[in-house]
Amino acid sequence: MRRRSMMMAAMAGPALAQGSAARTLRVIPQANLTSLDPVWTTAVVTRNHGMMVYDNITTVNLAGEVRPQMAEGWEISAEGRQWDFTLRPGLKFHDNEPVRAADCVASIRRWAARDSFGQVLWTAVDELSVLDDRRFRFRLKRPFPFLALAMGRSQGPVPVLPERLAATDPFQQVRDATGSGPFRFVANEWNPGSRAVWAKFDGYVPRQEPVDGLAGGRAARIDRVEWSVIPDPATAANAMQTGEQDYWEYPLHDLLPLIRRNRQVVVEQRLSSGFYGCLRFNHLHAPFNNVAIRRAVAMAVDQRDYLRAVAGEDPAGWGVCEGVFTCDTAMANDEGSEVLKTRNIEAARAALRAAGYNNERVVLVAPGDYPQINALSLVTADLLRRLGMNVEVISADWGTLVQRRTSREPVERGGWSVIHTTAGGDALDTPPVHLFLRSNGRDAWFGWPEDALIEQLRAEWLEAAEPAQARRIAGALNRRAMETLPYVPLGYYWQPSVWRRNVTNVFRSPATVFWGIGKS
Amino acid sequence: MWAYIIRRVLATIPVMAFVALFVFSLLYLAPGDPAAVIAGDQATPDDVERIRASLGLDRPYLVRFSEWVFRILQGDLGTSIFTNLPVGHMIAQRIEPTLSLMIVTLCLALSIAIPMGVVAAWKQGTWIDRAVMGFAVLGFSVPVFVVGYLLAYVFALELDWFPVQGYTPFAQGFFPWIENLVLPAVALGGVYIALIARITRATMLEVLQQDYIRTARAKGAGQSSILFLHALKNAAVPIVTVVGIGIALLIGGAVVTESVFAIPGLGRLTVDAILRRDYPVIQGVVLLFSFVYVLVNLGIDLLYTFLDPRIRY
Repeated sequence: MRRRSMMMAAMAGPALAQGSAARTLRVIPQANLTSLDPVWTTAVVTRNHGMMVYDNITTVNLAGEVRPQMAEGWEISAEGRQWDFTLRPGLKFHDNEPVRAADCVASIRRWAARDSFGQVLWTAVDELSVLDDRRFRFRLKRPFPFLALAMGRSQGPVPVLPERLAATDPFQQVRDATGSGPFRFVANEWNPGSRAVWAKFDGYVPRQEPVDGLAGGRAARIDRVEWSVIPDPATAANAMQTGEQDYWEYPLHDLLPLIRRNRQVVVEQRLSSGFYGCLRFNHLHAPFNNVAIRRAVAMAVDQRDYLRAVAGEDPAGWGVCEGVFTCDTAMANDEGSEVLKTRNIEAARAALRAAGYNNERVVLVAPGDYPQINALSLVTADLLRRLGMNVEVISADWGTLVQRRTSREPVERGGWSVIHTTAGGDALDTPPVHLFLRSNGRDAWFGWPEDALIEQLRAEWLEAAEPAQARRIAGALNRRAMETLPYVPLGYYWQPSVWRRNVTNVFRSPATVFWGIGKS
Repeated sequence: MWAYIIRRVLATIPVMAFVALFVFSLLYLAPGDPAAVIAGDQATPDDVERIRASLGLDRPYLVRFSEWVFRILQGDLGTSIFTNLPVGHMIAQRIEPTLSLMIVTLCLALSIAIPMGVVAAWKQGTWIDRAVMGFAVLGFSVPVFVVGYLLAYVFALELDWFPVQGYTPFAQGFFPWIENLVLPAVALGGVYIALIARITRATMLEVLQQDYIRTARAKGAGQSSILFLHALKNAAVPIVTVVGIGIALLIGGAVVTESVFAIPGLGRLTVDAILRRDYPVIQGVVLLFSFVYVLVNLGIDLLYTFLDPRIRY
């Protein structure tokens, strides 16, 4: 124990000090928790809050397989058009009201209005109805084999709220964080930008299976989880080293060598998937409305340059992934990815000349306050300059970038040519959730690529009856994506977490969750 | 005097109105979109549009401005776009840490800087004077965040005398409260100490040349009596002016200091709100800071009359 900690413990009274500290997990979250409604915003920090507070009907295990969570199970009719879900007995909300099927139905409706996979699912739903307090039924227009997966996806599962709250317009924020998850939100201790607190919900009935990713028993082993927002990474690293904090969700890669020197802390990869970089072109305007120019740029890309810039020289911290689907998942493939394997600046220059590049201005917007995405942006800027393109780099804060990228104007009128972003592997593992792949023109993600074949293949994938058929379509999708290049995949980097050695039972998971974790 | 105070207080109304108009217009024109931030990175353009409409951000400037002014006149600073909490409540949560930091910094700075300035003037040209002025140059030159990191490394990480970060409310006891504030106050106080020490020295040098000081010496007054009773009192007006100006420095410096030491004060609230484009929070905090600044200036003006009876309003 350090000197000051010893002094403080002595002042507080030994038993009291040790007891309360051991029952509280002090966490530095990856961002500031500003909103409490995981349907209203897709922010990861709100999703993580949602995981503690709201239980889910279905969920996924570490292998990404769908598992029941609140559901005891479900029955699918022979033709696959009717799904009957039954809830486990004894489920309660934090206000001690029982969880009913009507709460689940209202929550699913609200979620489906906003979630990307939910919207896809909803096109197949004919009716969603309550059978009794513990059972509800989906009646479908056509078979939808991914129904249970859609509701339990780690990126945005259905958060089950009481019906009274789930009736809120999906575009309005729910103000009351009453859920039925293993932790309840302590609203009167919430100081946005500084602190958020959750307390163990004694009325929670966990499943009996062992923890497996997000599946299994979500049993809270600590009384409180306290998030302290520490905006400065160096200060956060110091707080971890002195033991003022127990767990740091997203340490800055640059600081990892320093932190690793301290034997009281553990640096490990906890999240089950990495973060994937994305180089996005604006397909509406020159020069990147020309597919040959997009391909020329892709030929020059060497993912390793990007990944080193983000996550350092150690190859254990990142991985090359030259396909559009998350590597090491069922749909992963690199059919037609030869363009990404060229990695040759001379060949790319020749291709650029042949494509008819006419020195059009390329505006690349880089977020100075977002280290990882900024690093990706600067590597691309250098690459484009080496290719001989007329590049203007605009350094903006993230708030400005996310507004500017909505502009469909040409660069002369405030538009943009290239942006970058990152996404968790769970957002890119299947066609319906893969936003960067969507090529439905004005309705597509920023950059607005348009390609009827990609959209057709995506629709076919949703109706694929067999896994082998789904994989075949995924291969065709990858091939087509490499021809039209809606975006350039930049590989993935691992985001380790840091915790003190006295934090126990930390398990791998698709999201940062705090059930199952103890503290000695 | 009372008429003057009333006049000055009334004069704050047009100042605040101008600040309100300026802040609102600036935020309206500034790039950035809270709807895009709320929607998240994976949202589609359609999602962003719908959120913008639900927040009323697609309405004309004049409609939004008049609604905001109407609410302000009723004492309602609005509701945060992100947290859904009243801005007044969020500001109230953050006032204590910032106020505590400013008070401790001010006390530390005054108790160090004034004696330093006085001694430097008294020992003009000696090594003490040079050391004080050298410190002042250092205080001006080294940025707050550099001092902050150095202090945290030495006194928190290596020596373990103070915590690295955080804030403990005063209600939980004086020791935990002050423990969290010592390093931030020293870091933030550096510039302030330098500024006051230099002004004190310069003003004292001028005053020490005056005839009444020579008279006091001729009458046999002691050195400390001459320095602190006769000279310092007459040098007080410029020093108080600088203290007032320095409060603006403190407000600016608090933003950095609060970030380095993770103090949940108004500075961090402002930065977070700016980065997210949480307009109601930015407007509320800027209005509050302007109001405080106007009041501080008024207080300084009134203080002159007590320090120098020749000043009358």
